[in-house]
Amino acid sequence: MTKYIPVAVGGLSLLMAAGLAFPALAQVGGAAVTIENCGRTLEFDEAPERIVSIGQGTTEILLSLGLADRIAGTATWVSDLPGELAEAGANLPRIAENTPGFEAVVGTRPDMVAVQWINDIGPEQGRVGTFAQFEDFGIPVYVSPAECAKSEFGAASGDGARSEAWSSDLLYREVAELADIGGVPSEGEALIADSREREAAAARDAEALAAEEISVVYWFSSPEIDGEAWLAGGYGAPQWISNVIGLRNVVDSHEEWPLVGWETIADHDPDVIVLGTMKRRNQPADNVALKREFLETDPLTSQMTAVHDGRLVELDAHAMNPTLRAIDGVARLAEAISALGLTR
Amino acid sequence: MSYPRRRFPLGWFLLLAGAALLAAGSAAISIGDVRIPLPAILKVLGRQIFGLDLTVDPIREGIVWHYRLSRAVVAAAAGGALALCGCVLQALLRNPLAEPYLLGIAAGASTGAVMVIILGVGAGAVSLTLGAFGGAAAAFGLVALLATGTGGGTERIILAGIAGSQLFNAATSFIVTTSASAEQTRGIMFWLLGSLGGIRWPDAGLAVPVVLICGLLCLRRARALDAFAFGEDAAAALGIETGKVRVELFAITAFLTAAMVSLIGAVGFVGLVVPHATRFLVGPGHERLIPATVLAGAVFMVGADVLSRTVVPGQVLPIGVVTALFGAPAFVAILWRSRRTS
Amino acid sequence: MTLAARDVSWSAGGRRILNGVSVTAPAGGVLGLVGPNGSGKSSLLRLLGGLRRPDAGDVLLDGRPVSRVRRAELARRLAFVEQHSATEMQLRVRDVVSLGRTPHRGAWGGWTPADEAAVAAALETTGMTGRAGQSWSTLSGGERQRVQVARALAQEPREILLDEPTNHLDIRHQLELLDLLRSLRTTCVIALHDLDHAAAFCDCIAVLDRGRLVTQGLPAGTLTPGLIRDVFAVEATQRYDRHGTLRIDFTVAPPPARHRSLQAHCRSKPEDDRRSGSDSRQETYGHLS
Repeated sequence: MTKYIPVAVGGLSLLMAAGLAFPALAQVGGAAVTIENCGRTLEFDEAPERIVSIGQGTTEILLSLGLADRIAGTATWVSDLPGELAEAGANLPRIAENTPGFEAVVGTRPDMVAVQWINDIGPEQGRVGTFAQFEDFGIPVYVSPAECAKSEFGAASGDGARSEAWSSDLLYREVAELADIGGVPSEGEALIADSREREAAAARDAEALAAEEISVVYWFSSPEIDGEAWLAGGYGAPQWISNVIGLRNVVDSHEEWPLVGWETIADHDPDVIVLGTMKRRNQPADNVALKREFLETDPLTSQMTAVHDGRLVELDAHAMNPTLRAIDGVARLAEAISALGLTR
Repeated sequence: MSYPRRRFPLGWFLLLAGAALLAAGSAAISIGDVRIPLPAILKVLGRQIFGLDLTVDPIREGIVWHYRLSRAVVAAAAGGALALCGCVLQALLRNPLAEPYLLGIAAGASTGAVMVIILGVGAGAVSLTLGAFGGAAAAFGLVALLATGTGGGTERIILAGIAGSQLFNAATSFIVTTSASAEQTRGIMFWLLGSLGGIRWPDAGLAVPVVLICGLLCLRRARALDAFAFGEDAAAALGIETGKVRVELFAITAFLTAAMVSLIGAVGFVGLVVPHATRFLVGPGHERLIPATVLAGAVFMVGADVLSRTVVPGQVLPIGVVTALFGAPAFVAILWRSRRTS
Repeated sequence: MTLAARDVSWSAGGRRILNGVSVTAPAGGVLGLVGPNGSGKSSLLRLLGGLRRPDAGDVLLDGRPVSRVRRAELARRLAFVEQHSATEMQLRVRDVVSLGRTPHRGAWGGWTPADEAAVAAALETTGMTGRAGQSWSTLSGGERQRVQVARALAQEPREILLDEPTNHLDIRHQLELLDLLRSLRTTCVIALHDLDHAAAFCDCIAVLDRGRLVTQGLPAGTLTPGLIRDVFAVEATQRYDRHGTLRIDFTVAPPPARHRSLQAHCRSKPEDDRRSGSDSRQETYGHLS
């Protein structure tokens, strides 16, 4: 099933992630910053001035690093920016709300493209383009290490698969690398330290929850409101959140967002259903109100314990992706679950 | 393929097809993502159908009764309806390849349904069906116009149908991909290949009466359909009010197609495979053919649904893919035979 | 008087096809409609059968306008046999003949002994009883035409309208069919190409030319050399054969001088003979139709 090259790439980046929390950057060929990214070597003689960021997760990291004035264009938005970034990101140029076109991206004359999803720009194909297409224009493409670490880039349901579980280390590596590329390494260190602290605090707060096993599913959206649902697999960010809090994600698929039928979900009858909230209206079940309405009116799902007992928890869908918000997601989810009174 | 001299007695056919429907239906409610043991299934059926006081896990009951059985019932109704449409259209148009999907009627119905959703006219399955009916009628008109405008003939109808399908499918794709409210329109694949994914009992409440009533209305015109065998003038000379019958039956097939498209999307080839196979067994007389075709269509569709859920483990194929797998070869076979006889 | 057209006119596609035509079918007899191609024979038949409605004038059945008779009632009374019958359905001979019972059966009515008797009689009359189980698609052109006549007879009509029924038949089947029609006690209106057949088999002849009725009357009085010259632009003579039947002979131009030498070529080689023979037959056929 697994393709040879992605495994090698994933293995390599995981090795780096595990061994080098702050990757030592080799100084080769006189370039100021050299970074291994998705099996390629990116060299930056000077910090890019016009960055196009495709994917809200990447955009938020750049904003958090104080690089707002370097962003020449953004795309693939899911939600509003969180309060602390709202001001910094108020006037970001948006190329597209969803997937941008190749020419629209190149047309902004970027000196770097940072992309959150390898499905958008990848080694062989992408909705926007391929690495080679951008290299032809001399534009380096930086891909989130969380994506490079996937064992499959475009599995059955389109979001790829992981053989190794995601953890915040991959996120911190991305923060450190983007900070180095942007020439603001100290900002990066500060952001990582802050995030680690919040992560640890949330884990401490959640300790009480771990006393009892709580099973959970994370519902991002569905291609058809009363059809199968995209649920978080067993190796992505929601799994990591579950591990930190001590929840049991009933889905153990290697796929990042497998399509699961409600028959199966109802049969597992999880204690809690986490519903993704987002501003995006791309898929039929993006709206959380529709998710709730379906669960409560459908003859089968209304029989599920979680629906019956009102244990539906809303969580920013963005926190279910491997982004900075996943860190906040730990605290938010732990809080919401303890509010349900499932703990003693 | 030469037709057998002796025909299958209708009673036997209906009995066997009924048994096959029961078997396919049993498979449909036993097979799924979740393994549910037979006793549990029987308990659910006993409780729901005969009101027996049995204790059943409500989740299992939900799966078997609300998901699987309603899905099987709608599949059966849709199969019967689409097969009936094919049977009637083949007789009226005197074209062995006539079928709602190939004539572009299903594509038109899809466009009509999507437009109703986007324009937000009314709500629920009924207005969706009416919108689909408008689209189906428009597709009928377009095909008729194209076919007669280009000089008539049986091949022209099919060519006109292809043009119509392409046009309406493009319109549907355009509307779905450009619409801002994706949450209401369902995916484009639904409208192009069909899906039984979101079926619940209220859908069955629409599908079953529609197919039964339309089936009876068509059966009332069985003699007329027989009389169309040698063309419109020949039918008129046999005392058939051809204009009236034509309009009535076209309206019924458009409505049937529209109702099914609004429930399960555009599923092709059912109206091609089933009537031909049934005609082969029970003969061309519509009095026998109509009930036999409806029942055989039901068996075919429920079987196709079971296949679509079992062929690739852990994955559901679009139902239209399965029906096309059977339909395309049938299409070729019919083409081949018509070449030989003409 | 059973069936008559009174001063009917009819247009199609902006072209006047029939112009003030009046004909009367003799009760129990055979009316032959003759005329060159495009003279309006088929159209007149369709008006008489109520399949088209005249723009002006009336078609009367027992003095009643056909347009006021319900279709099913009309079909119980009057049958129509088209020039060419084709179907995509896989029907047996019996199925086709049974179609004739359609106007006699209600929407939900079953198959009655009367239906069965009518079908059996029709098959018997047309000599198709032994073929009842055979598939329609395997029949020859002549057999198909006979089955269509059987279907018409199964309607138990008092009038049968036939549009060039002998068109694709070989000579034996042409004569047999016309003989069969003449032997029935039913009123027949037949559009015919062959003037000789019309003269021999019809009780009454109506001659059409360019949408107008030229004349109607007994064969001897209508198919005169003068009329044939005027309408068909050929020379012909009348004679009576040894049974006293009226026949029409056409005057053919004498053969060219090289005719004899060409005939000599016919007997060259056997295989050539066969090939050229079949070719010329096809040519003749194409010419006639």
